Amino acid sequence: MLKFVVRRVLWTIPIILLVIFMTFWMMRAIKGSPFRKSERAVPPAVLANLNRKFGLNKPWYVQYERYVVDVAKADLGPSLVLRNQSVNDIVKEHFPVSAELGGLAMLLSMLVGIPLGIISALRVNRLPDYIAQFISNLGFAIPSFFTATLLIYFFAAKWGFFPTNGWDTASSKVLPVIALALFPLTYFARLVRGQMLETLQQDYVRTAKAKGLRWRRVVVVHVLRNSLIPALTAAGPILGGLVTGSFIIENIFAIPGIGRYYVTSVQGRDYSTVMGITVLLSILIIVANMFVDIMYGILDPRTREARS
Amino acid sequence: MVVNPEEVEFRSRLVEREAGGETYAAGAAIRQASLWRDAVRRFTHNKAAVVSMVGFVVLLLYVVIVPWVSPYDPNNVDFSLAYQNPSLHHPFGTDEFGRDLFVRVALGGRISIGIGFAATFALMIVGILYGAISGFVGGWLDNALMRFLDALYGLPYLPFAIITLAIFGVVNFWTMVVALTVASWFTTARVMRGQIITLKENDYVRAARAIGARWYRILFRHLLPNTLGVAIVFVFLELPNVVLGEAFLSFLGLGINPPNASWGSLAQDGYSQYLSHPYLIVIPSIAIAWLILTAFFIADGLRDALDPRTTEHV
Amino acid sequence: MALLEVDDLRTYFKTRAGEVHAVDGVSIAVERGKTLGIVGESGCGKSVTALSIMGLLPPSGRIVSGSIRFDGRELTRMSQRELEDIRGRQIAMIFQDPMTSLNPTLRIGTQIMETMQRHLDVSRDEARKRAIDLLEEVHIPNARQRLDDYPHRYSGGMRQRVMIAIALSCNPRLLIADEPTTALDVTVQAGILDLLEELREEHEMSMIIITHDMGVVAEAADDIAVMYAGQIVEQTSAEELFDHPEHPYTEALLGALPQLEGEGVRRGRLTAIPGRPPDLLDPPTACRFAPRCPYASFDDSCAKEPPELREIRPGHLVRTAHPASERAARPVEAAVR
Repeated sequence: MLKFVVRRVLWTIPIILLVIFMTFWMMRAIKGSPFRKSERAVPPAVLANLNRKFGLNKPWYVQYERYVVDVAKADLGPSLVLRNQSVNDIVKEHFPVSAELGGLAMLLSMLVGIPLGIISALRVNRLPDYIAQFISNLGFAIPSFFTATLLIYFFAAKWGFFPTNGWDTASSKVLPVIALALFPLTYFARLVRGQMLETLQQDYVRTAKAKGLRWRRVVVVHVLRNSLIPALTAAGPILGGLVTGSFIIENIFAIPGIGRYYVTSVQGRDYSTVMGITVLLSILIIVANMFVDIMYGILDPRTREARS
Repeated sequence: MVVNPEEVEFRSRLVEREAGGETYAAGAAIRQASLWRDAVRRFTHNKAAVVSMVGFVVLLLYVVIVPWVSPYDPNNVDFSLAYQNPSLHHPFGTDEFGRDLFVRVALGGRISIGIGFAATFALMIVGILYGAISGFVGGWLDNALMRFLDALYGLPYLPFAIITLAIFGVVNFWTMVVALTVASWFTTARVMRGQIITLKENDYVRAARAIGARWYRILFRHLLPNTLGVAIVFVFLELPNVVLGEAFLSFLGLGINPPNASWGSLAQDGYSQYLSHPYLIVIPSIAIAWLILTAFFIADGLRDALDPRTTEHV
Repeated sequence: MALLEVDDLRTYFKTRAGEVHAVDGVSIAVERGKTLGIVGESGCGKSVTALSIMGLLPPSGRIVSGSIRFDGRELTRMSQRELEDIRGRQIAMIFQDPMTSLNPTLRIGTQIMETMQRHLDVSRDEARKRAIDLLEEVHIPNARQRLDDYPHRYSGGMRQRVMIAIALSCNPRLLIADEPTTALDVTVQAGILDLLEELREEHEMSMIIITHDMGVVAEAADDIAVMYAGQIVEQTSAEELFDHPEHPYTEALLGALPQLEGEGVRRGRLTAIPGRPPDLLDPPTACRFAPRCPYASFDDSCAKEPPELREIRPGHLVRTAHPASERAARPVEAAVR
């Protein structure tokens, strides 16, 4: 069991290195040296500093190694644009905001999405299922910038329940979280519904019924357990979806999170920030995947015992 | 040819005796209609799929025909006509420059859908290549490639797409296609690889090999027809993701440069006016949603039609 | 009064192509302390009959007409809640594939105990103790330790024994075994059948064994009903059936049995039954077996009208126009080659 966990954790390291590598190369490809061709004139002192920091006069593998070591030390380098701030500072300032937004949205989407999926599966092809499916379909088809706009239009602009932007008061957080949660919500709902429908077909559910167990017990003990656990494996894509969504939502609601900052960095040619954030987000998702894998291994007795 | 016992003549009964038996389960005879005809029949019985197919085709017709037929020049700036609400002359109204939105949305559709299909095909090819190499070589390479994909599953595609666009420097149709492909291939390659493995390990391939069928025969008679079905379903499943991706990028201002506009950039233009002229953002958004919904139900219907083993909900 | 009486049961399934008449007028009875064997090929409706009795039909299936009386009570009129009280407690069922019939994420002990905790007024410890006793009864070694194992640690044969243990846990009056040995190795099959017989005697249960294998019912059953295409075509005691089969289908089934020694040693090839069963979406209005029957010919009565189930001898029912004891002609030879 321990061996399984350790192995899984170790596997993550070459993956992360690979991602950093990819990002690194992509950054290099952006028109050669990010400094010489940048539109802003970088003062020579900073330029020398950056060159030394990034080792731009050294061959690429040295640069890469330097960067990796830095990342390992959690040092993402200086910002190209904001002279006195490092990428780390930027991240420290903006990431918690996004984390809060994403976390709340994830929570909301699970609290609503999972029960929706369960009800759908238990009342399959009847009215509750159709309604749930309808909501689901709307949720994933309508682009999030539109839902956000709708929410702002009615609840903020017209009726004034909430502010139209910002992230300071509790009420300012309501609309963005709802807007961001909508897509993962539908994802969860469909996932859980599918898993449950499949589990309900299984032989062991038939056995459970044949034992005369009360339907509620059959559902809770036999069906739900075996359905929700595989639903966990979707955590990776859901997290990715949250990141993507946050770019849009933060943009619309003017939330000072890392998604919004990313876009401004790209537009402002602050490539070290762009790279730093990309690496950070990628590591986040890779680690999340790893956790989910390990969780799944722990929860499923077959893997738990077999891997010893 | 359906086995209908009403038709069984006793002379043919004797021939049947020689043909041997074929058992079935739950009392329903296996229809021996061809795979395709069966699939088509199943598809056409699926109301949602048929309605969506019609909707999808309508959308395609709209984006193709309207720019040809429209009397309005999509780029003609005429401030006197600006911000007109939808009317008979301008079914979708006009934008801040007085340009007819009906034709602009159609043109935007050409770009959005075009990018969608192009990127989807590119993804499919990448996925097939990846899956083919991984599946057919097998062994540790397959294992390594698989682990690689597993770990990268769900990487957010926006950052990578953005960086790729920055590498190109310019954002046009083709750079967008490449960017979206580069950003989403992790997730889709995994799906395709799974399909190829399933197909390769399939019993009928083994059976074909067992009777000494040549590899090209296996490929064309067995693998390709099945892969075709999977590929078509894949296209309709991926298309919405790609179109949405492009729309998001455009909405953030990182998309196709003007004057060419995609649905996403039209939405971005319209967003600033959401209070005064909501139709400017409503219409492109609905277009996107329309595409996604119809594609989804078509994919669902196709999947059901081609794989008779999926659960029957009768 | 028999323990279980099924009277003219009809169970149909809704499919995309129409309504399938899976069980079309089946009447059987199980006496107390006796075993009834239901034999037939795949798709003949034997499993559906069992599921109908238990009330475990999938949503697309329904009992269209007929009655099922258990201990005098009419099961077809009961709600699911009432049936839940009977299932596992009065009537228990074991299924064909032991590999998938147990929940892979729950311990064996839990799965045995939950039935008892549901139906009987026992404490957890009592249930646990009884579970260990049950495992020992079904000859699982090291019962105490194995109670806490997960199903994947058990072999197929052992899992089927666990299924039997679960079925017996509340001392049911009737046990329905649907193809209990089909998914198991031949060497294991005999053991399971012996176990079933042993337990049946000890617990004074009645049993229904469903199988396609004549060899299985030869050992285990007191009475046998042969099913074909949703109907019973022959029904009598096991002895009578094997000594004096009447229906051509039964004869063919027996002829398909390999027999290495003893009285009916067959030389030469086993006879396969050519052709296939009829489409139950639209059952034929004539005898359902006629197309494959070696004795039916084109202008026989059975080609136009379905034969009724009649008592050809006391205690021996058969549904055919050509029962063995009334047969004059020899089998029709195939004219077309």
